[in-house]
Amino acid sequence: MAQRIVVLVEHLYGEPTDVTFELLGLARRIADSDGAIVEAVLLGEGVRHLAETLPAERVILVEHPALRYLAPEATAITVTGLLRTDAPRLALLPNTSLGMDVAAWVASALDWPLVAYCQALERREGQLVATAQLFGGKILADVAVGTSPTVISVLAGAFAAAALEPAAPGTIEVREPPAELAALRTHAASLERPAAADVDITRAEKIVAVGRGIESKDNLELAEELAQALGAVVAASRPLVDAGWLPRSRQVGKSGLKVKPKLYLALGISGAPEHLEGMKDAELIIAINKDPKAPIFGVADYGAVADLFDVVEALLERLGG
Amino acid sequence: MTIVVVMEQVPDVAEELAIAPSGTDLDRDAISYVVNEYDEHALEEALLLAETSGDEVVAIGIDATGELDQALYTALAKGAQRAIKLTGDFEGTWLSTRTAARLLAPVIEELAPRLVLVGVQAPDDLDGQLAPTLAALLGWPHASVVVGSELVNGMVRVRKELWGGITMLLELALPAVLGIQAARQAPRYVPVSRVRQVMREASIEVRDVEVTSDLAPVPVRLRFPEETGQAELLTGSASEIADRLIELLRARGLL
Amino acid sequence: MLTTPERIAFVLVALLSLLLTAHGVSRLVRAIGRGQGRPRWSTFLRRVVPVSFEILLQRPIFRARPLVSLLHAGVFFAFVFYGLVNVLDVAEGFTGFSTLHRGGIAAAYNVVADLLSVAALVGILGLLVRRFGLRPFRFNDRVFLLPSVHFGIARDSAIVGGFILLHVGSRWIGQAVRIAESGRPDWSQPTASLVATLFSSWSDTALAAASHITWWLALGLILAFLPYFPYSKHIHLFMAPLNLILREESPLGRLEPPVTGDGTMGAERLEQLRWYQLLDAYACIMCNRCQDVCPAHGTGRALSPAALEINKRYYLNRNLSAFAGGASSPPLLEIAASKEAVWACTTCAACVRICPVGNRPMLDLIDMRHALVSRGDPIDPNLQAALESLARYGNSFGKPARQRARWAKELPFPIKDARKEPVEYVWFVGDFASFDPRMQENTKTVAQLFHAAGVDFGILYEDERNAGNDVRRVGEEGLFELLVEHNLAALEKAQFRAIVTTDPHTYNALKNEYPAYGLRVPVYHYTEILADLLERGVLRVQQPLAAAVTYHDPCYLGRYNRITGAPRRIIRALGLELREMPRHGANTYCCGAGGGQIWMDSGGQERPSEQRIREAVGLGDDLRYFVVSCPKDMAMYSDAVKTTGYEGRLTVIDVARLVATAVGIDGVARESVSVESEAR
Repeated sequence: MAQRIVVLVEHLYGEPTDVTFELLGLARRIADSDGAIVEAVLLGEGVRHLAETLPAERVILVEHPALRYLAPEATAITVTGLLRTDAPRLALLPNTSLGMDVAAWVASALDWPLVAYCQALERREGQLVATAQLFGGKILADVAVGTSPTVISVLAGAFAAAALEPAAPGTIEVREPPAELAALRTHAASLERPAAADVDITRAEKIVAVGRGIESKDNLELAEELAQALGAVVAASRPLVDAGWLPRSRQVGKSGLKVKPKLYLALGISGAPEHLEGMKDAELIIAINKDPKAPIFGVADYGAVADLFDVVEALLERLGG
Repeated sequence: MTIVVVMEQVPDVAEELAIAPSGTDLDRDAISYVVNEYDEHALEEALLLAETSGDEVVAIGIDATGELDQALYTALAKGAQRAIKLTGDFEGTWLSTRTAARLLAPVIEELAPRLVLVGVQAPDDLDGQLAPTLAALLGWPHASVVVGSELVNGMVRVRKELWGGITMLLELALPAVLGIQAARQAPRYVPVSRVRQVMREASIEVRDVEVTSDLAPVPVRLRFPEETGQAELLTGSASEIADRLIELLRARGLL
Repeated sequence: MLTTPERIAFVLVALLSLLLTAHGVSRLVRAIGRGQGRPRWSTFLRRVVPVSFEILLQRPIFRARPLVSLLHAGVFFAFVFYGLVNVLDVAEGFTGFSTLHRGGIAAAYNVVADLLSVAALVGILGLLVRRFGLRPFRFNDRVFLLPSVHFGIARDSAIVGGFILLHVGSRWIGQAVRIAESGRPDWSQPTASLVATLFSSWSDTALAAASHITWWLALGLILAFLPYFPYSKHIHLFMAPLNLILREESPLGRLEPPVTGDGTMGAERLEQLRWYQLLDAYACIMCNRCQDVCPAHGTGRALSPAALEINKRYYLNRNLSAFAGGASSPPLLEIAASKEAVWACTTCAACVRICPVGNRPMLDLIDMRHALVSRGDPIDPNLQAALESLARYGNSFGKPARQRARWAKELPFPIKDARKEPVEYVWFVGDFASFDPRMQENTKTVAQLFHAAGVDFGILYEDERNAGNDVRRVGEEGLFELLVEHNLAALEKAQFRAIVTTDPHTYNALKNEYPAYGLRVPVYHYTEILADLLERGVLRVQQPLAAAVTYHDPCYLGRYNRITGAPRRIIRALGLELREMPRHGANTYCCGAGGGQIWMDSGGQERPSEQRIREAVGLGDDLRYFVVSCPKDMAMYSDAVKTTGYEGRLTVIDVARLVATAVGIDGVARESVSVESEAR
C-alpha cells in the first residue's frame, strides 16, 4: 500500500483557510516525488460539502458537534485516533493557533517526532529534510525526517497553495467520531468576530506599517501624516497593538491580519517571522530600519538602513509641498 | 488552590547568535539568556487570576542554564508565593520541549494545581510548543494563544486568539493547561530593590530530576538563513533616500 | 499715653494672644517634626550669620522679578525695622515717652521709620494690585488643587495684605495725628508731617481719640493677628529664613537615598517626607515663581511645584492638630499632586534654583516616584521597557552591552581599553553618545579631538553601564545601586587619574552621587577638557569660524554643576559670536528630556525643546547655530528644529563639531568644509 501524507484541514466560518491549500500543495509535491497519496483530514460539523473542494486523493471526514470549531481538545483526540490507526508517513498540520494546539498534543500522545515552525520541506540526496525557523527567524534548523511517522507543523504562508480543482475528485471516507468526544472537558466553544474595524487594512492599497522602531506613541502622528500624504492607511506590528497604541484591527501578522497591498512601507519593523507571515505577499515592500540585519530586508524589495524619522521627515517635505 | 507557571530561559535573540562547531546547537558560551517573553505574560496572567481568586502561584522551571534563579526570584518578587527549580544533568544543553514536559509533568502532578500557565511558544521550540505537549502528558484540557482568562464556576473561561481579531471562546474544566500569548495587561515592573529583598529573604525549592529519554529534539543541523540581501538597499542621506523612494513610487504609479 | 484700663486690657489681650499663638506654633513644630530625620543644629550655627546677611540683602528674592522684588524689599525692610518700632510704640503707650521732636538718634530713628512706613505701604499696595489685578494667581487646569486652595489663596493674601496695610498705615497715620497734636511739623518724620496737615482743623479731643485709636489699630491688631499667624502665609517671615539657614550645603545634584520603611521606599504620605520638606510648605509664600520656570507646567502638563507646596500647606492647615498628634495623612497623591504631575517632572531643578525661600518641591516628586515604583504601581510602558533594558543590558536602548563601543570600530585609530592598560582619563561615554546613531558621529569627533590633542584616554568598552542619574530620579533606587555597583567594579579594573564624560547627566551622577559609594576621582565634562586644550594651544584654531551662535546650558551642567564657562570659552576661542538666550547659565531652560522623561510619553501640548528653539530664533535672523554640549540635547533639539519648522535656518550642533572644524581635524574634513563655508 502506498504511503500516505495526511493533512489536517483548517477551516473557519465554513471555509478552508489559505494554509490548508498550502499544506495540500506541499503534500502533493512530496507525494509526487515518492508515489505517496495525499489524504485530507476534514473534521467539523456539517462540513461534508467542503470535501469536494479539497485537492486530495482521499478525504477522511469525521463529523461531531464538538468538532464544529476545531476546538483543541476534541480535535487533538480525534486526530490522534486517526493517526494511530492509519500510521501515515507524514502528518502535516498548520502551525497556526488552531494547528499548534493539535500538532504538539498529537505528537506527544503518540510519541512521534515533531518538527514545528517548518518553512521548507524538501528531498535532499534522497532524504526528506524539514527546515524549521527558530530563534526569531535568526536561525534555521534542518531536520532529517526519518522513516517512522512524523508530525510536521508548517508555517502559514511558507508554501504555494495547491491548485483549487483536484485532478480527480477524491474519495470521501467517513469515520466514526471517537468515543472520547462524549466526555470532553472543554465546553461552550464559540467564535467571536472583532468589532467593526475603523479601517479595513486588508483592503487598503497602500499601507504604512510601523513597528517598535517608532519608539513612542507620540511618533505615531508622523506615520499618520505620511500615510495621509501617500493615501495609505497605518498598520502596525504586534508590539504596538499590544501596547494599546493602535487597535487590533490594524495588526499585521500571524495573529493579526494578512495583507496584500500594492505598497507596504515598513517603518522600524524588524520583521519577526510572525509579522512576515502577514505581509510578505505585498506587491512592493519597502523597509526602513536602523538595523542592517533586520529580517524585514529579507522580504523587502527595497530597503534603507537609516533613521526612520529622518526619512519620514524628508518624505513629508517632498510630498507635502 | 494552586496555579503553576512554568518559567523558561531562552537565548536572547537580541544578541548575536553563534552556532556551535558541532552544528547541532547554538554556541552556548556566546549566548546570554532571558526569560521567554511569553512566560512573562503567563506569570502576569497567573498573578492577575490569583489576585481575584486567592490562589497560590507557584513558579517552576528547569534550570538548564544555571541562571534560572534570577528569573524565579523575580517571579517571587512580582508576587508568586513559591518557586521550584528542577536541576539535573542537563546544564548547557538544548532541552527538547518533550523532554522538558516529561521533567515537569510529575512535579506538576504532585503540586495538583487547578491551572498550569506557560508561554504560548519559545524561540527554541523545535519540537512544538510546551502547553499542548504538557497537556497531552497530563491528560488535561488545554488551549494555546490565550489572550484572556477568567476562573468561573470551577472552570476557566479563556479567549483564544485565531487571527484577524477573531477569537475562540472556550470553557475548560479544571485542571487545565493554557499557553498564554498575552496577559490582560502588560507584565508588571518589579523594582530591583524588591528582587534583592526577596533574594535575601525567600528561597527557591530545588528538585533533582533525571532525564531518561534522549535530550535533543530530533537530529538537526543549524544554519543561518541565506543573506537577507534580497532588498535592494538605498543608501545616502535621508534626503537622498527620500528622493529615490518618491521616484520609485512615481515609476509604479503609486503616487 | 494709655489710660490704666487700656493698659490692663492690652496686657490681658497680649497674654491671651501669646498663649494662643504659642499653642499654634507648638502644633506646627510638632507637625514638622513628624517628618523624617532631624535638622542639624551645627548647620544652623555655621550658616545663621552668612545666610541672614544674604536675606538682609534680599539676594534670594532678587533672582527674578526685579520690580516685584523691590516692592517686597520695601515691606521687608519696614518689617525688620518695625520690630524696634513696635517695641518703642508699646513703650510709648505705657510710659508716654515719645521720640517726637527730638534730635540725635531719636531723629534718625524717626526718619527711618517714617520713610520705611511709606516704603511698606507702597510695597504692599503694589503687591496687592499685582496679585488681585494685574497678575492673578493661575494654574493650568490640569493641575490638582485641594478644594480649600481655590479660595484660600486669595483670602490668605487679602488677610495678610490687609493686616500689613492696616498695621503700618495706622502707625503712620498715628504719627501724623501725634504731630498734629503737637501743633508743628516734625522734620524727622517728613511724610507723617505732610499727612498731619490733614488734621490741622481737628479739635484736641478728636486728635487725642484718634491717637488712641491708631495706637490700638497698629498694635492691638498684631495681638489679634498673632494666633492666625501660624496658619497664614505670613509665617514665611520666620520659616523662610529658617529653611534657608538649615539647608545642608550638599550639591544640588546629590540626592539623599530615599527614606525606607518596612517594605516601603520614598514618600507615599506626608509623614514619610523629610522634615524639611514639611517645612517647605510653611516657608512657601505662594509667589508661583517656581511654576513660571517649570517646563512641565509651561507645556500644559499637570505639574505645578507651587501647587504641590500650597496643597501640602492647606492640608496641614486644615488638619494640623490631628497630624501634629500623630495621625497618618492621606496619600500624597490625594492631597499634594496627581500621579500625572509626579511623572511630569524633568528634574531640571529650575524650581529649586528660583525659589526665594529655599524650597525643593522637586525632591517631593522624586520621593513620590520612589514610593510608586517600590510598591509596583504601573509605570509608563516605555519607561518600563527602558528600566528592564537597563537592568538587563545596562543601557536603555535594548542593545546588548557588547555593542556599546561599536562606534569606536569606525575610527581610524584604536581606543585604549582602560581595563587593560593605564590611562590618564577614563572616558565615560554614556548611553546616548554610545548607542544613538545620531550621536555617534559627535562621539567619534570627541574621540578624534582627544586623539589629535594627545590626550591619554581609554574607555571601559562593554563594562560601562548607564551611570544611573535618571534611573535614580525616576525612583528606581535599587536599579541605580545595581548600576553603580557595576560601574564601580568596572572602574576598579582600570588605572586612571580622572574621568571625563560626554553626558552631563552622567557627569552629575559620577561627580555628586558616586562619592557616597566610594568613587573619589576628579570628574570632568568634555567641554572642560576641550576648553583647556584650546587655551593651552594644544588644539590650535586653524580657521576661525565666523557665525552668530547661541549656547544651551544643559540643566545638569549649567544649573546643577555650574559649568557654564568652559563651553563659552570654547565658543569664543573659535571666533564665534555668542548670543545669550534670555534664560541661560544657571537659569537655563530644560530641554524636557531629564529625570527620565526621555523614556516616557510626554503628553504635553508643546515640548519644552520647541519653546527653547523659538527662544533661540528670537535672537536674530542671522543666528546660525544652536550649540549643545549634551547628547540628549542633540537628540531633543534636532527633533525640535524640525517640528518647529526652523530646520535649515538654525542648525543644532555639538560644540565638539565646531572645535573639530576650526582646528581642522582629519576625518571630519568632509563635514568641516561645509560647516566652514557656511560659517563664513
